[in-house]
Amino acid sequence: MIDRELTMSRAIVEAIGAEMRDNDEVFYMGEDVADYGGIFDSTQGLLDEFGYDRIMDVPISETAYLGAAVGAAQQGMRPIAELMFVDFFGVAMDQIYNQMAKNTYMSGGAVSVPMTLTTAVGGTYSDAAQHSQTLYGTFAHLPGMKVVVPSTAYDAKGLMHNAIRDDDPVVYMYHKRLMGLGWLPAPEGPKTPVPEEDYTIPFGRADVKREGADATVVTLGLHVHRALDAAASLAADGIDVEVIDLRTLVPLDREAVIESVRKTGRLVVVDEDYHSFGLTGEIVSSVTEAALDSLEAVERVAMPDVPIPYARELENEVLPSTADIEAAVRNVQ
Amino acid sequence: MSEADRVPVVADGEWTDDVDEEEGVVVNWFAKPGRRVPAGESLCEIQVEKVSVDVPAPVDGELVEIVRDEGDEFTVGDTLAWIRPEG
Repeated sequence: MIDRELTMSRAIVEAIGAEMRDNDEVFYMGEDVADYGGIFDSTQGLLDEFGYDRIMDVPISETAYLGAAVGAAQQGMRPIAELMFVDFFGVAMDQIYNQMAKNTYMSGGAVSVPMTLTTAVGGTYSDAAQHSQTLYGTFAHLPGMKVVVPSTAYDAKGLMHNAIRDDDPVVYMYHKRLMGLGWLPAPEGPKTPVPEEDYTIPFGRADVKREGADATVVTLGLHVHRALDAAASLAADGIDVEVIDLRTLVPLDREAVIESVRKTGRLVVVDEDYHSFGLTGEIVSSVTEAALDSLEAVERVAMPDVPIPYARELENEVLPSTADIEAAVRNVQ
Repeated sequence: MSEADRVPVVADGEWTDDVDEEEGVVVNWFAKPGRRVPAGESLCEIQVEKVSVDVPAPVDGELVEIVRDEGDEFTVGDTLAWIRPEG
């Protein structure tokens, strides 16, 4: 029996600390990650053990320090570089899209880039259009990077161990609302029992968070918990919902989704990223190609194609809610 | 079990120098009752004003009772939990 529970941020920190103890080549770079411990507690307590040489605060130049991480990785180190908010990726787009993602291939395999890019994603707390996006699709779209999105502390730890050990660049996206911070309380769900020993969760393996026979809800991150809430409430009406947590977008476990839709015949895809050109379209297309004959009905629940509003009421309006998921599941019945 | 067999986990520490308020709230419990904890392990996280701090186990022992659950308020100096020391 596991007699302790961790918040998602602490599970992430535990994995990073263990990897740093095991491998001197692992280090962490980012803005406010040393003395502050990360503004979303992503490095809390690590400075005390590892010091400023391995938990490094950097100047506000994402281009400079993400580029430095790519170079260090090519030289055999295992950097973890934190982009404070995923929304800031644009100032370092060349480092991410053209260097980090492609140098393995551009060098003909002469170098690999075993770095992890950590970044905070998501809204729900009135931080407006430049600090509330998830941008899952933006990162999953471009070949060359693995993309990880944990929804629980248990998954977060195992996926972080795997991310640091992976020889390819990994983008590890943690949702702020799931981290378990005092000033940004998490919903019920992400805080879970977490084993003290190291373990890995392989990439490309979705997790069925709830089994059901009447509809398949495919989602990730914060919306795993909203989908589970919706499923619990629909169960009272006799609607039996399966909830699939993708956990990684690259590689994507299409098989798990297709297998589930072959059973339920009804697909609802829920994404906090924008509606168009993104995850919901990709999942629906994949199922359509592989299992059109099993598919009875489809719904998409995603962020509408608008910049995310600051006003709480307006943000709540655009963010996919538990009620939106419930309504979508009823529509496909 | 008498009081003498138990050690209180108290909401107090150097962090009290950094806050004016006396009232706080328990944000997260990590250890569950029954867990054997080494001295210094973070048992829970509390928040006073905007300061979040971890409350460490004062001694090696078994966490036998949580007095203030997540979401409960406390006053600085209150007992949050009890530990039965080992040895």
